[in-house]
Amino acid sequence: MLKYLFAKEENIPQGTAAIFFGVSSIAWFIIGSGLGSFNAAKLAFPDLYHGLYALQFGHMRQVHVHAVIFGWIAMAFAASMMYITPALGNTKLWSEKLGVWNCLLYNVGLCLALALLWAGVTSGREYSDHIWPIDLYIAFVMVVPWCLNVWMTIINRRTQGIYTTNWFFAGCMFMTVVVFLVGNMPEWLHLTGLNEAYMTWWFAHNVLGLLITPVAAAITYYIVPKITGNPLYSHRVGHLHFWSIVVFYSTPAAHHLMSSPLPEWLKSFASVEGVLILVPAVAYVCNILLTMQGRWSMFVENIEIKFTITGVLLAIPLNMQGGFQQTRAINWYIHGTGWIVAHAHLALLGFSTFAEAASVYYGMQVLLRRKLYSASLANFHFWMLLIGFSLYWVSMTISGLIQGAAKIYEVPYVDVVIAEHPYMIVRWIGGTMVFFGNIIWLYNMVMTARAGDIVPVGRQPAEVAYTR
Amino acid sequence: MGWTFNNPLFSLTTEDQNKEAKHVWEHESLGGIAENNNPLPRPVIGLLLLTFATAIAITFPLYGQRPTAAIYLDYVSLMNSTMVQEVMNDRTISHHEANTKAMALITDSLTQFDSKYTFQREQHPIDLDHLRVIAPQIIELQKAGADLEEYIVVGPDVVISNFFNIQADGTVLAKQPWWDKGYLIAFWYFIGFCLAVIVAVKRLPHFSWRPDHTIAH
Repeated sequence: MLKYLFAKEENIPQGTAAIFFGVSSIAWFIIGSGLGSFNAAKLAFPDLYHGLYALQFGHMRQVHVHAVIFGWIAMAFAASMMYITPALGNTKLWSEKLGVWNCLLYNVGLCLALALLWAGVTSGREYSDHIWPIDLYIAFVMVVPWCLNVWMTIINRRTQGIYTTNWFFAGCMFMTVVVFLVGNMPEWLHLTGLNEAYMTWWFAHNVLGLLITPVAAAITYYIVPKITGNPLYSHRVGHLHFWSIVVFYSTPAAHHLMSSPLPEWLKSFASVEGVLILVPAVAYVCNILLTMQGRWSMFVENIEIKFTITGVLLAIPLNMQGGFQQTRAINWYIHGTGWIVAHAHLALLGFSTFAEAASVYYGMQVLLRRKLYSASLANFHFWMLLIGFSLYWVSMTISGLIQGAAKIYEVPYVDVVIAEHPYMIVRWIGGTMVFFGNIIWLYNMVMTARAGDIVPVGRQPAEVAYTR
Repeated sequence: MGWTFNNPLFSLTTEDQNKEAKHVWEHESLGGIAENNNPLPRPVIGLLLLTFATAIAITFPLYGQRPTAAIYLDYVSLMNSTMVQEVMNDRTISHHEANTKAMALITDSLTQFDSKYTFQREQHPIDLDHLRVIAPQIIELQKAGADLEEYIVVGPDVVISNFFNIQADGTVLAKQPWWDKGYLIAFWYFIGFCLAVIVAVKRLPHFSWRPDHTIAH
């Protein structure tokens, strides 16, 4: 990386920034899932470790969350945008040099942010845990240069039209900047009470709804037609998806606070909008699955399609849960339980992660012009991720239902802890499988860069995946 | 940006502009990707309409709301009646048995006469220990002449509810209106969204036109 920091723009090979972001994202995924595994072990075996205060659950939880969101997910998004955006505009990235600097400063900033969280320096607000200097750093050093590269690449495209994926990339980056600056108002302006609670969950909801979910969807809009060779089923359904995300995903923040003294009309509005999240979900899933027509064999044969379509299929339970669990009739039961933890992992470790993994797999092969070092290891990674995630999701969902019942029937807390113990162990096993799967993934990608077979000019990696 | 309103459900774009859009669509390769112009399948349109109906129905205020203090007023009166007090103070049976028996007496008595709160009482059952905790607060509010429908029960507390039902004269009632203004906003918001998306897709070439992808790819 260092040699490109001060190189001239024309001397930096295309795709350099995407590769750096891609490798960083895998490394952060290992760190994030490792921290998650450690945290899960603490919940399964509370007496496991009593040493350093900084390694206790209260400190480690935020570090895990932010390592995964800002490290793995956001950097995989950056990697994807840095190669997909120019590809769709038949052009090159606006500035590889800016991308390389962006990647370096992103990693530095993330290390600093996580170190502070680890040390207990936090705003105390879930998902917007960082203190304001770190928030400013994230906004103006990590995110704005990234946006600039995406927007300028789209502006400088060599096509008249803009493909669906690039609408999402440009729109979501714009909305993310707004969400980040407005959502952190409690930190800038020291808002307290309900204002603080509302803005905190407005931020948390919209980071999920206007960045993570739609960008993951945008990636699949690229990967599926690109690899299958099928045209996207419908441009107009893409419109429905994009605008319904903007309209319905941006408004239901109050449904995170259904038991709070927020005005009831605001909760009613948020709750209706919460169910209407199913509109973009139905449009999106329908569009992608119909694009697969005649190419379903690739769901078995092709590793990127396997990851992508698994992610798309996981979007179905994700949105069904998300749409209904926030209604008053259901929320009173599952609020504050492991069900919500399971749902959050369905979004981030399920739908989103599978889409991003596909994108990083595909992007690295295309940019390095090398086919995967080992398809078997990639399949192993897929199954470790899918089985590990499934164990986690199912065990935490059951655990959440137990907690919900215990909450309603006022079962003593210690009895709930005992009842949940087996599910906490399964959660830890699932999370640990994801962690080990990711180590294999990093090995596979490093070996791909070093020893992967060259992909012939004019061919796609997917076309030569099984040729020797 | 040629607009036409002759046949708005077919197209909102002039023929010239449609021709230009079709040309770009067929002659441009977006990174090797092509797009079709299919409409939403009809069953999916039905599913989306069902989603909106479900969104309104499942979030309707009757479900999942906290109980108003008014629904427990009769419980409190009956709890303080001689007949129920005798059972509650019966030392020959356990506390739990006394509670169960007393609450059975109260609920039996309540079934003897009609009440507009019957449905809500079924939604929000209460046990005698809980009733004991909230009863003094309800009596206090009643003595003060408060409208108990403006108060809700939150755990051990009876508090003014956070509804802001503005009346024609400007006064604010803390009562659940039959139709929450949040739903009103959601209704118009959804209509606005549908109109905007219909305009967006009707600006595209009609879905009966199938692009030929062999030209650019």
